[in-house]
Amino acid sequence: MKVRSLGYTVVGSVLLMCAWEIAGRGGVLGRTFPALSQVLDVFAQGPRRALLLRSSAATLGSAALGYATGMCLGIAVAVLAHLVPLLRGGLDRMAVLVNALPVIAIAPVLIITAGREGTPAALAAIPVFFLLYTSTGAGLRGASRRLELVLTTLGASRWQRLRKLQAVAAVPSMLSGMKIAAGSAMIGAIVGEWFGAPSGLGVVVLNSMQNFQMPLLWATVIVIAAITLAAYAVLTLGERLARRRIGTCDG
Amino acid sequence: MATLTLRGVTRSFQRRTGAGVKQSFAALGPLDIQIGEGEFVALIGPSGCGKSTVLRLLAGLDEPTAGEVQINGQPPRELQAQHTLGIAFQEHALLPWRTVVGNLRLPFEVANLAASDERIIELVTLAGLTGFEHARPAELSGGMRQRVAIARALALRPKLLLLDEPFGALDAVTRRRMNFELERIWLESRPTTLMITHSVEEAVLLADRILVFTERPGRVRIDTAVPFARPRPAALMRTAEFHRLADELTASLGPA
Repeated sequence: MKVRSLGYTVVGSVLLMCAWEIAGRGGVLGRTFPALSQVLDVFAQGPRRALLLRSSAATLGSAALGYATGMCLGIAVAVLAHLVPLLRGGLDRMAVLVNALPVIAIAPVLIITAGREGTPAALAAIPVFFLLYTSTGAGLRGASRRLELVLTTLGASRWQRLRKLQAVAAVPSMLSGMKIAAGSAMIGAIVGEWFGAPSGLGVVVLNSMQNFQMPLLWATVIVIAAITLAAYAVLTLGERLARRRIGTCDG
Repeated sequence: MATLTLRGVTRSFQRRTGAGVKQSFAALGPLDIQIGEGEFVALIGPSGCGKSTVLRLLAGLDEPTAGEVQINGQPPRELQAQHTLGIAFQEHALLPWRTVVGNLRLPFEVANLAASDERIIELVTLAGLTGFEHARPAELSGGMRQRVAIARALALRPKLLLLDEPFGALDAVTRRRMNFELERIWLESRPTTLMITHSVEEAVLLADRILVFTERPGRVRIDTAVPFARPRPAALMRTAEFHRLADELTASLGPA
């Protein structure tokens, strides 16, 4: 069964790539749609490959910095909201508001405060903060009610209930948030690079579009997709391991 | 050990009756109950009569609307803070990511006490789970999990043991076997115990005294002593005395 589904995946991908190649060569979709072989050729060119590697490193650096910052802040604020119920309503609204702000509207503010180099990381951090805030909060609140009652009756403090029960119970939900946040951080970093960052995949996308370097543009998009998928795959694996290790409260 | 006193205890809840109108309705009481040291009391009554509310009041998880709840002359929250209450629920109350030993260590960690290896081994033996020390709850049967939950409730030698339908989720055969297991476990330290159950036979088999509650708001309708000597053998369930008492109580639960 597993072999068969893998087979379908391979066959489907090959068909898709063939279709791309044929459509590109025939020029069916216009001049902005190059053949797959032309796009892959970009990776064979030394200078282009070096450019993509350098840019990937810059974007990954910004995305990772934003990811780490957003995650730490999101988790910290979620724990604060959990421990001080009085603050929760306000913090919930603040998180929603931060997430709802259009990137185009806040980017100029960030360029002035965080600088052109810092903007990609800042734009990566915002969605990560929101996702980790909501997933951590939901995870902490989702701990078994019965276990909370047992711990309270045993005389556990609020802090002990958090440490021994809620924090552990929240890990699978947090990992779900982290998984989705990886893609958001990449998007944030790339969009952030459009506002005048010195280097990065976002800069390559923008330049190759403006200079009509279609194969390079598509090659960059492939690199971005590959990085995002790889991060997603690693975190999916982590989530699955954590869920197995922690088990369900019905156990 | 502990003596329990409930004096004029009532508990009412707010209920929404549509269009934002809130109405208060009485769930419990007024109750006046005295329970002596080392007594094993079973609480039976129709569904929704407030049995679980009594247990929550004694566990310090809820406050009475009126009246007074005292354990050894102190409010339950005091005993909570002293780590001298033990509680076990129907099911799903073990930490799923911890082993049997890890779950048994939990009360010691909460109380900031060192759990000696001897005490943990003692508790594992008490639960009849030797050989399963490092099994996780998902690997245990329902009956085994409940024995862990009860051993955990007894870990700190509580003054008061509270059991809320402890065998309610088990099949009939396991449940009967667990009844005898519970008596054996209980006899080791004989804490004052309040057990909620739906099974009249379970109550007669285990308790020194049985309280039958009325429909909501729950009040004590019958307060009867169980005269059988301990430990109680399985043969007791075949005697005429056992059946007479069980039938009497079952009849009292029917429509008045």
